Amino acid sequence: MESRYQILGDITVLDLSQGVAGPFCAKLLAGLGAEVVKVEPPGTGDPSRRSEPFLDGRPALENSALFAYLNTSKKSVTLDLGLAKHAQVLKRMAQDCDILVESFAPGYLDSMGLGYDNLSEANHGLIYVSVTPFGQSGPYRDYKGSDIVAQAIGALMYTIGLPDREPLKVGGEAALYTTGISAFSAAMLALHVRDTQGFGQHVDISAMDCMTVAQIHSSIHYQFGRTPVRRETNLVQAKDGWVSPGLDIGVQAGTWPKVCQLMGVPELTDDPRFSTPEGRRANQQELLGVVGEWAATKPKEEIYHTLQGLRTITGYVATVEDLLASRQFAHREFFRMVEDSELGDVVHPGAPFRIDDTIWQLSRAPRLGEHNEEVLGGRLGLSPEELTQLFSGGRA
Amino acid sequence: MGAERNEIGPALDGLRVLDLTQVAAGPYSTMLLAFMGAEVIKVESCSRMDINRGRARPAPGDTRVYPGGEPGERPWNRAAHHVHRNINKLSVTLDLGAPRGKELFLDLARICDVLVENYRASVMDRLGLGYDAVSQANPQLIYVKISSQGDSGPERDYGSLGSTLEQTAGLASVTGYEGGPPLMTNETYPDPVVGILAFGALMAALRQRRATGRGCLVDLSQREVTSMLLGEAFLDYSANGRVAGTMGNRHWDMSPHGVYPCLGDDMWAAISVSAEDEWLGLCRCIGQPQLASDSRFQDLESRRRNQAELDQIISTWTLEKEHYQVMHMLQAHGVPAGAVLKANETLADPHLEDRGFWDVVDHPEAGTYKQTTTPWILSKNPRLPAIAAAGLGEHNFQVFNGLLGLSPGEIDDLVESGIAGYTPSDGA
Repeated sequence: MESRYQILGDITVLDLSQGVAGPFCAKLLAGLGAEVVKVEPPGTGDPSRRSEPFLDGRPALENSALFAYLNTSKKSVTLDLGLAKHAQVLKRMAQDCDILVESFAPGYLDSMGLGYDNLSEANHGLIYVSVTPFGQSGPYRDYKGSDIVAQAIGALMYTIGLPDREPLKVGGEAALYTTGISAFSAAMLALHVRDTQGFGQHVDISAMDCMTVAQIHSSIHYQFGRTPVRRETNLVQAKDGWVSPGLDIGVQAGTWPKVCQLMGVPELTDDPRFSTPEGRRANQQELLGVVGEWAATKPKEEIYHTLQGLRTITGYVATVEDLLASRQFAHREFFRMVEDSELGDVVHPGAPFRIDDTIWQLSRAPRLGEHNEEVLGGRLGLSPEELTQLFSGGRA
Repeated sequence: MGAERNEIGPALDGLRVLDLTQVAAGPYSTMLLAFMGAEVIKVESCSRMDINRGRARPAPGDTRVYPGGEPGERPWNRAAHHVHRNINKLSVTLDLGAPRGKELFLDLARICDVLVENYRASVMDRLGLGYDAVSQANPQLIYVKISSQGDSGPERDYGSLGSTLEQTAGLASVTGYEGGPPLMTNETYPDPVVGILAFGALMAALRQRRATGRGCLVDLSQREVTSMLLGEAFLDYSANGRVAGTMGNRHWDMSPHGVYPCLGDDMWAAISVSAEDEWLGLCRCIGQPQLASDSRFQDLESRRRNQAELDQIISTWTLEKEHYQVMHMLQAHGVPAGAVLKANETLADPHLEDRGFWDVVDHPEAGTYKQTTTPWILSKNPRLPAIAAAGLGEHNFQVFNGLLGLSPGEIDDLVESGIAGYTPSDGA
């Protein structure tokens, strides 16, 4: 086996996307070794550069934590696609690129002569990945989206939260990350097809589709007669946080008596309310009361390890701080320090999967236009004069 | 393009997958493979079926979901989660504890390209069927190991479900009403996310195999994958020492941002405003253009500071309209908005309908229903239409005879000795 192999070491990607979903897709491609060139509007860059929180608490184009995470291992060039001469440069770059990722409103790039039909004429193998809120077809195709809009329209959100409160979104940008993961897997699928069958194609990713796929209970439960609703929480308060006992699914028969011993309630061993997984599920709120009394004085991670030791499926609510201190994550060296001599080194999540000893590429996100000369000059062969001319009359 | 399309087969034509997955993340992943044309052979045993099939004889009070609440004659073929996550797969049964079962399993591994499993990390090793054993039988095989915690480390053999991964990977710590306790989704959200990502991981492994000529192990930790959804929060903690917590439906960079009550019982619409033109569009749309020059709302910072007042103003407007109407009106003014759909509404949504998202499946034992499909559309390789999830052992003959060359008599022997079968064994 070649050691330190990069699975996408021969692949080039043009990342025209902005925000979260498209850039996350391109970040994952970069992780596998693809050379990813991110194309941003001159002057302002990807809007995520202006997203809070900022790495040194100060808003600046290079400081956004969101941008820094989503754009690792990429190069940045600036082009204003609204200018014909810049669009022409992009067209040239697309002639020998393998994968293009974009997130513009459907039809926008076509109107610039940069749509799939235009670009694939000169590059039959091109894989053109469009990542948008609602996809390339259908009555909502021109609608705008966001993380909360995707969670709403995909019916994920309706069942999250408490019964007497409003629907609640999953925190962070969970829907958009999932959309980016879908785009990544679809791009890899299209690349598999190109490797084995020889042609490229247009990949259509819609955040609404992705969220509807992520809705793995609601649609089938409803159709089989159980209407999905928001439910009371099944978390139990420990001394320093929250746990879920994990005693109702996938637990072997011998486990419950041991748990009763541990919690000091041996009399419940044969209590029919709790002695079977079905019973524990049906009498969940009572069970949570019993566990809650025991758990209240113990640290959440101690409960997690002790009960997992009895082969339960216990969980504890970990914060980002807990995870950065987790022995499990440390043992696997999941988190990696990404060096940045100007902004300071920062810890990032590492590879989402490992394949033998292939490398997961992880280097800092680029400054806006950092690679203009290298890519436009070196790669495309534009002379210094041509480069100056390219950016004259506009912003560099 | 029409002519070209006709000559093109399914994207994963010719790829054969040995599927040992159960519950959710694994089955979702192999279902996507099957939708794209892979031949997926799902292996269960009559004594240990996929948990999705439920109990052979559900006890009274069993909370599993069956069509119309009726477990029926063969509940294991009707359980909702089984029906919904095993589209387009073949079903065979093999007792992997028995020597003959192991032998046949390795025979199957020899003719497959890929093995996918999501048991506790040590289960396959204990059966003597871990990566070393199967790669010895077939050095070309790609082994996709979807485990809770990854294939190493002190918590390697811990168990989890999507619902506990939401907790242990940090997602629950940022999900909850503003300042309130952590809450979880009712969709075991990490499951589909991991299932979709594992698909891409396998595509990467296939590319590696084309380059090296050898199979490999894909080590995927569901907890690590899920934690990646919190990326920027790790950076924020690392740089600023700030621990992300619950912020309800609020957002750092957008205001207004939340859900607003609409006409009808428990009906809501989500609205998010980031750019200035979106804010102006919202003011026009709700008939209050003067808000645009109101100092309480003049910029993002002021709107965030006075969000409660702003929510009140917007709610007064949304309360008189249906949630779809709120969405369409705001979108017409360039404002991101979406109805908070309920399950019955997604099934009837005109946009998903127009995109051909749902497939209607006529399941011989569970009836007719609409099936979730794929999170992507490829312009040249359409997905296959959904074929109903198979009954337990439905393809025993097709696989054991057709692929492994066993005679009908040998297959009868397997059934008689309990190594294969078509119904769960007692107590399953």
